[in-house]
Amino acid sequence: MKEKLESIRASALERLNRANDLKAIEELRLSLIGKKSELMGILKSLGALSPEERPAVGKMVNETSAFIEEKLSQAKQALILSAQNARLMSEAVDVTIPGKRRALGSRHPMQLALDEVTSVFLGMGYEIAEGPDIETDYYNFEALNIPANHPAKDEQDTFYVEGGFVLRTQTSSVQIRTMERKRPPIKIIAPGAVYRSDQVDATHSPSFHQLEALVVDHGITMGDLKGSLSAFIRQLFGSSTQVRFRPHHFPFTEPSAEMDASCFFCNGKGCRICKGSGWIEILGCGMVHPKVLQLAGIDPDEYTGFAFGVGVERIAMLRFDISDMRLLFENDIRFLNQF
Amino acid sequence: MLLPISWLKTLTDLDVSIEAYIEDITMSGSKVEAVSLSGYDLEKIVAGRILSIEKHSNSDHLLIAKVDAGDGMLQIVTGAPNIYVGALVPIALDGGSVHGGQRIKKGKLRGEWSEGMMCSIDELGYTRQDYPEAPEDGIYIFPESCGLKPGDDAVSALMLKDETVEFEITSNRPDCNSIIGLARETAATYSKPLNLAKISLKEEAPGDIGGMISVEIMNPDLCPRYIARVVTNASIGPSPLWMRHRLSACGIRPINNIVDITNYVMLEYGQPMHAFDIDSISGRKIIIRTAHEGESFTTLDGASHTLDPSILVISDCDKAVAAAGVMGGENSKVTGNATAILFESANFNGTSIRLASKRLGLRTDASSRYEKGLDPNLALDAVNRAVQLVEELGCGKAVKGMVDCYPNRRDPLRISFLPEKINKLLGTDISAEDMIGFLERLEIRVEGAQALIPTFRADIETSADLAEEVARLYGYGNIPATLYAGSPSIGVKTRKQGIFDLIKAAAASLGYSEAMTYSFESPKVFDKLSIPGGDPRRNAVKILNPIGSDYSIMRTSMENSMLTSLSLNFSRRNDGVRLFEAAKIYIPKGLPLSELPDEVETLAIGSCGEGDFFELKGAVEEVLSSIGIIESEFSPIAPSHMHPGRCAEVSYKGSILGYLGEIHPQTAQRYSIDSRVMFASLNMDKMAEFANLRRAFKPLPKFPALQRDISVLARDDVSVGAMKSAIREKGGSCLEAVELFDVYKGKQIEDGFKSVAFSLSFRADDRTLKDEEVNIAMKSLLANLEEKLGARLRDK
Repeated sequence: MKEKLESIRASALERLNRANDLKAIEELRLSLIGKKSELMGILKSLGALSPEERPAVGKMVNETSAFIEEKLSQAKQALILSAQNARLMSEAVDVTIPGKRRALGSRHPMQLALDEVTSVFLGMGYEIAEGPDIETDYYNFEALNIPANHPAKDEQDTFYVEGGFVLRTQTSSVQIRTMERKRPPIKIIAPGAVYRSDQVDATHSPSFHQLEALVVDHGITMGDLKGSLSAFIRQLFGSSTQVRFRPHHFPFTEPSAEMDASCFFCNGKGCRICKGSGWIEILGCGMVHPKVLQLAGIDPDEYTGFAFGVGVERIAMLRFDISDMRLLFENDIRFLNQF
Repeated sequence: MLLPISWLKTLTDLDVSIEAYIEDITMSGSKVEAVSLSGYDLEKIVAGRILSIEKHSNSDHLLIAKVDAGDGMLQIVTGAPNIYVGALVPIALDGGSVHGGQRIKKGKLRGEWSEGMMCSIDELGYTRQDYPEAPEDGIYIFPESCGLKPGDDAVSALMLKDETVEFEITSNRPDCNSIIGLARETAATYSKPLNLAKISLKEEAPGDIGGMISVEIMNPDLCPRYIARVVTNASIGPSPLWMRHRLSACGIRPINNIVDITNYVMLEYGQPMHAFDIDSISGRKIIIRTAHEGESFTTLDGASHTLDPSILVISDCDKAVAAAGVMGGENSKVTGNATAILFESANFNGTSIRLASKRLGLRTDASSRYEKGLDPNLALDAVNRAVQLVEELGCGKAVKGMVDCYPNRRDPLRISFLPEKINKLLGTDISAEDMIGFLERLEIRVEGAQALIPTFRADIETSADLAEEVARLYGYGNIPATLYAGSPSIGVKTRKQGIFDLIKAAAASLGYSEAMTYSFESPKVFDKLSIPGGDPRRNAVKILNPIGSDYSIMRTSMENSMLTSLSLNFSRRNDGVRLFEAAKIYIPKGLPLSELPDEVETLAIGSCGEGDFFELKGAVEEVLSSIGIIESEFSPIAPSHMHPGRCAEVSYKGSILGYLGEIHPQTAQRYSIDSRVMFASLNMDKMAEFANLRRAFKPLPKFPALQRDISVLARDDVSVGAMKSAIREKGGSCLEAVELFDVYKGKQIEDGFKSVAFSLSFRADDRTLKDEEVNIAMKSLLANLEEKLGARLRDK
């Protein structure tokens, strides 16, 4: 009996080797361990054996059946795997074919620069204030210590509209509107479009954007102005950026200054961008003129403040190395999509 | 303002390099625009005397000269025809260089050695305008009076080498529009003395000015001061080299000694002056008055003008002889025949000169100085300096005395000097002594608690002004940088600003790129956009002084801006053009403008050659839903610039937000776009009003939904929107969603009809729905479709 079972095992293994698809394996299973198989025949004929022999033979038959079952299952698994492998291989793609993209639109570089500057000041606790593009002469000039017939009016090449209004030449007008609306402490930035009657060229535009800042409180000093602007410029252009403040003149600030940053293209060595000076002019600033505070109803003996205005297109051009301002207003999609 | 360093050095010591000077003077407040170096390329150029001249044996036009150049004799081959034996000429020696850096090398010219080069004035980098004695064509020959000997440096003798610094002078510092003003700033920067020329006059001419001229000021508000001095025995001729040279270096063309003196004094002191031929002053009386209406006048540049009373003139008993502070008259100018000269040194109201200069279309060196407002006390020094120069140059004799009309003297202003207040403003701890020191360098005297401001510094009026003077000499760089530690504040955007950010981010994420355009445009756009006459959009704010008519009105809508940008992209054959812009439009409350217009923040979305109506509508819906505006309504409209069948108004809760659709092909054609153009315009202010940014969690459904698809036959003119409403109306409370999935026309569908397929989904919150419940709802909504819209279920 033992020999017989051995030979069933051997023959099963030999036939299994030849079975090469799932159907053949299923047929083999029926023939080897199915109801009508030789092995099951032996099991059925156990009754003919003596009660002493039965357990041992039964055990051997079961072991043989389990062995065959296991081998069948392994063979089946191997076939499934190889079939799957073959399918996966046939599905291989050329990974260098471009992906299917749903293009995102881009944000305008001026807007990107403005958002960046704005977020720096939001982080420093400034609120955002707004004012109209079309302004009264009072807010654009008079309240900013630029009386009628002041030569500064000519310098700014103002666009006049009917009814005695102007297109604002500076976002400083928002300073006055804010001071009239709100008592100190005041800490605002005011971004927006401004207009000057310049002809269009690589560095001029009759319309551009400015960001104005105004801080008014007890005890604000020129040192605070320097510190705040230095912090801002280092956030924007990197912590190694040097700044310098030069005396300058604006009718609405006193003392007034222009701030230069060390040229970040050449690290101050002198290049095309900084015209060899190592410095790039960034913005105008100063301590709010006492007359301006007074006109806005704030007592200059009690409060002081600082203000500055920065050209946003200029920042964008520096930030993104844009050489010609006209590109900003043309809206060629090949330009816009670079940002 | 141009400042020749050689001139500056006559007024104060300067012992730093030009680079250091530029840096220092910029940081103390006088901004350097540019520096030009002249004569720096000239090397080894000396005076040489020509000893003999022979013809070159191998050339028709070359000459061989033997020259004493101080250090031995040189042989020089030249082609210049104007040389002669005994002439003293500039010689560039072997190894030297001339203008442009061209090197001179000893070499053979047609077989003869040439050991240097004789120079023309051009080769020295100048022109005959700078050196009128130079021949038109040929070698420069030194006048015998120059006192040079062979071997002397020709560059310094001709004053060829100089540095000229160009300053940007701000409008508050007219005093710096002068050599003395800039020298004062320089001296203050380095804490050095300022050495002004001592003025003393000989006044050798007989007689007294009183009998020669009288002055009357009719408008003392427009002319606070008028000084006249007279010079007789005038001999008009060229001024000396040093004066011509300084004028040229400052950008002023030398004319003759008298005119040059007036210009020289203007440069030196910043006080414009004028010289009249006294014989042309009828009645020997100067009257300062406003012009008569229609008075005609010819300025000395030959241009004739018709004047009016807004223009101040200098007049004699008969006629205007000068437009005050702007330009003198042709009728009184100093020519070679003049024998007696009247020097005018006057002060005029800045605004009046500025307006007159604009009115006459003449901006002169004089008017640009006057219009910033000059110190009337300057006039006296200036006129005396002019007369001193006349005496020094020997071009006339000064008559004793002057006529000085100065009705209201200007005295130094006294303002409070409060060192503590200054420190508090600057954030510094500068001692009062140091402050006084800084101020004294600027000629501001401190007397106790008061500072005496010299009249040439009219810009200093308050303590803050004094603080700036202190700060700039202390050094802005020395002020410690601090961070404002006042009241703490939180930087947040307003709700509206946040919503605008969301809108722009949504538009960009939908594939539209952000554009930026000017907010002014041409009034022609109304016709271009077929906006009917009388339409309120034609009421635009007009710019009175536009840079051109194409930029002369403030836009009242965004169409033109967007179409112009799309057009540029179309003409450049760009693909994938989808743009958006969030910007203001300007809507006057009434015209003519009497109050500020409404500035409406507007979103424009546009594309060309890309997408269709439904893509655009989808984009608009997504943008709206990004700020919580869901279920906005779309109804057909047909404005004349849009495709009549593809345009919809967008509204929400009964309020119009804007519109979208396809641009009419004729409109697109007017923008040279030969392609379908999509456009939407939405009022962002309104969108912000309706925006709903509240987000609250709704539990996920616990029970399954039942899906029913229906296909309905409806007439073509029945809109999907109407069908959806009819379905919703009778769909019962369990109808969760109605989605359109197909609209079909064609085979099997009768003409004039369409098949519309919807997918409906039903769900209850508290139970699994039964088929019977849904069947009842279906029956009712189908009945409603048929009853309201004549739409019935398609036969299977």
